[in-house]
Amino acid sequence: MWIGKALLAGALLTTAAAPTTPAQDTTLRVKMSGSGVDTLNPFLAFFNGALDIFGTIYPSLNSLDENGKPGPYLATEWTQGPDQLTWTFKLRDGLKWSDGQPITAEDAAWTLNLIRTDTVAGTANGSLVGNFENVAAPDPTTLVIKTKKPQANVMYVSIPISGIPIVPKHVWEPHVKGLKDYRNDAFPVVGYGPWTLTDYRPEQYAKFDANKSFVLGAPAFDHLVQQSFKESDAAVAALRSGQLDYINGINPTQFTALKGDASLLAVQEVGNGWTGIELNPGAKTRSGKPIGTGHPALREQVVRDAIALAIDKPTLVTKVINGLGRLGHGYLPPAWPQWSWKPTPEEEHTFDPAKANQLLDAAGYAKGADGVRVDPKSGKPLAFRLGTHSDDSADAAISTYLVGWLQAIGVKLTIQPLSMSALNSDLAKGDWDILMDGWTTGPDPTYLLGIQTCATLPKDDGTGGNTEAYYCDKDYDALFERQLTTADPAERAKIVADMQRKLYRANVDQILYYANTLDVARTDTVKGIVTGTPDAEGLHPAQTAFWSYLKAAPPAATKASGSGGGGGSAVWLGLGALVIAAVGGTLVVRRRKTAGDRE
Amino acid sequence: MRSLLWGAGVLAAFALLALTAPLYIGDADLNVVKVTGPQLSPPVAGYPLGTDQAGRSVLLLVIWGARESLAIGLIATALTVVLGSAVGLLAGHYQGALGKALMHVTDWFIALPSLPLAISLSAVLGQGAASITVAIAVTSWTATARLVRAQTLAVEARPFIERARVLGAGNTQVMLRHVLPNVLPLILVSSTLTVASAILSEATLTFLGLGDPTSVTWGSMLQAAFSGGAVTAGAWWYLLPPGVAILIVVLGFTLTGRAVEHLLDPRRAAHA
Amino acid sequence: MRGFGRHLAEKLAAAVVSFFVTLVIGFVIFSLMPADPVRTLTRGRPTSEAQLAQLRLQLGLDDPLWQRFLSFVGDTLRGELGYSWQFQQQVSTLVAERLGPTLLLMGTSAAISVALGLWLGMRSGWKQGSVFDRITSGASLTLWSVPTFWLGMILLVAFSIPGLLPAGGMSDPSLPGTDPLDVARHLVLPCLTMVLVIFAQYVTVMRSSIIDERGAAYLLTARAKGLADADVRRRHAAPNALLPSVTMIFMHLGTLVSGAITVEAVYSWPGLGYLTYQALKIPDLPLLQGTFIIFSASVIIMNLLADLAYRFLDPRVRAQ
Repeated sequence: MWIGKALLAGALLTTAAAPTTPAQDTTLRVKMSGSGVDTLNPFLAFFNGALDIFGTIYPSLNSLDENGKPGPYLATEWTQGPDQLTWTFKLRDGLKWSDGQPITAEDAAWTLNLIRTDTVAGTANGSLVGNFENVAAPDPTTLVIKTKKPQANVMYVSIPISGIPIVPKHVWEPHVKGLKDYRNDAFPVVGYGPWTLTDYRPEQYAKFDANKSFVLGAPAFDHLVQQSFKESDAAVAALRSGQLDYINGINPTQFTALKGDASLLAVQEVGNGWTGIELNPGAKTRSGKPIGTGHPALREQVVRDAIALAIDKPTLVTKVINGLGRLGHGYLPPAWPQWSWKPTPEEEHTFDPAKANQLLDAAGYAKGADGVRVDPKSGKPLAFRLGTHSDDSADAAISTYLVGWLQAIGVKLTIQPLSMSALNSDLAKGDWDILMDGWTTGPDPTYLLGIQTCATLPKDDGTGGNTEAYYCDKDYDALFERQLTTADPAERAKIVADMQRKLYRANVDQILYYANTLDVARTDTVKGIVTGTPDAEGLHPAQTAFWSYLKAAPPAATKASGSGGGGGSAVWLGLGALVIAAVGGTLVVRRRKTAGDRE
Repeated sequence: MRSLLWGAGVLAAFALLALTAPLYIGDADLNVVKVTGPQLSPPVAGYPLGTDQAGRSVLLLVIWGARESLAIGLIATALTVVLGSAVGLLAGHYQGALGKALMHVTDWFIALPSLPLAISLSAVLGQGAASITVAIAVTSWTATARLVRAQTLAVEARPFIERARVLGAGNTQVMLRHVLPNVLPLILVSSTLTVASAILSEATLTFLGLGDPTSVTWGSMLQAAFSGGAVTAGAWWYLLPPGVAILIVVLGFTLTGRAVEHLLDPRRAAHA
Repeated sequence: MRGFGRHLAEKLAAAVVSFFVTLVIGFVIFSLMPADPVRTLTRGRPTSEAQLAQLRLQLGLDDPLWQRFLSFVGDTLRGELGYSWQFQQQVSTLVAERLGPTLLLMGTSAAISVALGLWLGMRSGWKQGSVFDRITSGASLTLWSVPTFWLGMILLVAFSIPGLLPAGGMSDPSLPGTDPLDVARHLVLPCLTMVLVIFAQYVTVMRSSIIDERGAAYLLTARAKGLADADVRRRHAAPNALLPSVTMIFMHLGTLVSGAITVEAVYSWPGLGYLTYQALKIPDLPLLQGTFIIFSASVIIMNLLADLAYRFLDPRVRAQ
């Protein structure tokens, strides 16, 4: 309590002073990724907030251009040797870590080898170097990576944010022994990138200084602040009142409300993920032993096809995400056009409940007295559990639509809201019928494609599983292996398209839509933060913390943070205060009347 | 006692609305697949309190939400009262080892932080109304137990209990026939206050994402409004009604409880 | 004072037992939670089978339950709180980082609401039935009936004023260093939300004990001596009426620490309540147990203090 008193006293003694920063310095203030930061140790961190930070304070071998294609960063060129196993990266000369030490190929080799050989160092990114035989630095500007099997995506392994950050060997070598407990919080953090991390408070903020000699261009702002907000509406309130300049990731209702505001720039990015449902095709282990309590009818292709035909995807796009997204088709999202796949009109499952009913009638799923069809083989009604993520409002909305649509084809759904871990736990045990599902992916599709292979099914003891939905198909696996080793991008894209066609036909994962990522920036304090040119529909390519903050600039005439917006909401919230006051007032009046009877 | 009339009147009105709701609110008004209203629209003709993101009437949702919110509040309170009274009665009556043990258990549960405990319980029991109800009961029975024990001690000290014993009444008979009727009014009063806090707890737990987001309760409406960006959209017609409904009902229960307390024991009423 | 020493020893022993029982209850409940932290943590990141196995090993997930329980008890006795699954750090470090902000918010809100509540309760109880009493009681009852998070959100949007009252966080990150005044500005709205909701309880207690005291014979004596009404209230009635409030205040303080989860969420306050909530989402059992220990301990310690304060303040008990 003494703290409070001291503060109050302080507030009385000092007059309110406006926050002042040196006039010549400019600061870009953005909302931190909603997931937050788990740890600043790049060998251990999984959360997006942490990855965003590493992407801007540590270098990587390659960058990604605005369309998600690998570009130069530390490396200026990279070539695959004739044996298909040796990759040679030519590194820039003369770059220096923020403490003045030179950045050499040895730093990169040491980082990659450590992740490859040390189990703790491999916690977060071990699988990215799983196929590396050895990494060597024959001279300070040459890095040689030997792979066990041919690997087409080596230039995606060390990229900003979703790839491996290269750390300075001279700083990290002493910490290898206690890596598990090393917090990496000696500020400023020694690194290299467009920004240097100068301060970090958990759940509060991360502060950065610009690296004005950054090799891919100097940031225009002098400082960067990422501030943490738990409620997205609180972040929008902060943006409107001038405490923030940019939010990456707002929801459709917020976007609709903000896009008319002249002081704000609200943009859409092409979605880098999908929202869908997964149907249990008969969960089994790697050796083929069935596990779990999945409904037998979902093992039938015809039932899964009928469900696909009964879902009105366009309505979901208009109603659930206010039309701010694209209809779902292929397994890989449209943000990476090189992999994007669409079914031909003949292949496409369009909304057709009549046809769905026909399919089920023909297959012998007769309707029972309650209107629910019965599986002729098992005698069980077609009543499925639909597991949803309880903290996801889109899931809640979608699931209520699904219940209504499937009712129309004689299929009963029972919604089960589950926590993320309960849902994952059910998935791993095979105790599910239908689950809401969603994935986002970076430009390299290897991992997302990989979790559909038979190798990711669990072992007989239930461990080791990492499968997306227990899909397992030998032909798909063969295609997966082939695309891994196909170096020609066009050739690889064709194989990836074939894989997506197989997935689409199986109807185990049914992609409902790709929601656009929605961002908003203040126009009076920042410009150029939205990168790339919009397509015909006005959608920008996927934005990254790396390019957005690097390219953002203060407007020519910097004025004090504006005070736009907010006014309207203050009025209607005054209403709220009024209601409370009215109820309280009634109470006061009423009590006055009763005072008489009491005496 | 106008206080009682006021409180009870509000409660009766809400109860009536909740019970008769199925007569005038049907699937066509609540099922997102069937509703035809504009999305997140301010009040217009036909929608006196506007609509939610799916185009459902907020007024009808608030009325419908009363059903589950009140049900959760009342059932949780019933569980709380039964559990708390049983423990309190036993602890007050058997003042030996059993009574001591029961009071220790009560003390332990008092030391358990209630909100974290309720959150973890609903995580263990699976999400939805049932687990929220149980979680509320488990974390709030201790207050009733303490209250009932104190009152039991007071009642048992009175001469008529002694008389009953002399006349051969057993433990069970003393507790159920003589002590319980004297403790009951107090239990009823405290239970109205428990309902009030149970309804608030339901809203809080649902807001934290532990409820069933597809069911219609006041808590889930607020949760949907907040997570869906209604604040940014300035959708006061969506944010205010569920909160005001909670406010009025909670206040109704509190006032009723205090008024009944006053009726039963004017001196004690001053304490409330 | 020998009696007091013995009483203290008994109470301490009971508190220690109580603490251990809550630990066990907490451990049992948390162990029952459906947990697949490894899949939840690594969701969306490329992870190989070997990596998952290593992570399970590192987090001690493959240990049998009894072994986890033993190491949990051992850790607690040594004053350690285990290793957080999601933050991959010592729980004690995480808790220490967030204890300060929580204490600041809770301490300030408690201080203000106790002071405000007691003062209002005293005034309104003394003039029972007056306009002042009716306004105070009506307002406090109404505010008590409002869901905290709802009130918080409404205050946030209505009063987050540029340059004066910020929309969230604990300090303005664009300022160099930490400025106490800046923290105070950030504290206003979350603190106001807490105060508005909780001050009613203190009003109620104080009001009723003043009403009780008002009729007491000794006040009549005081008045007969010719003391002014305000003096009688301040010097005689208030100190005695304070007694029942003190116990209640202490007991309430213990629960406050965990009661602020929603306020911390709405105002992005970096405190323990929100940490618990994050831990539940994974669920991160060591972190949950760690915060649970802190919360239980604060309730138990406050209850102990309530008991001691009561004995210390009440001359009748003290004399025994």
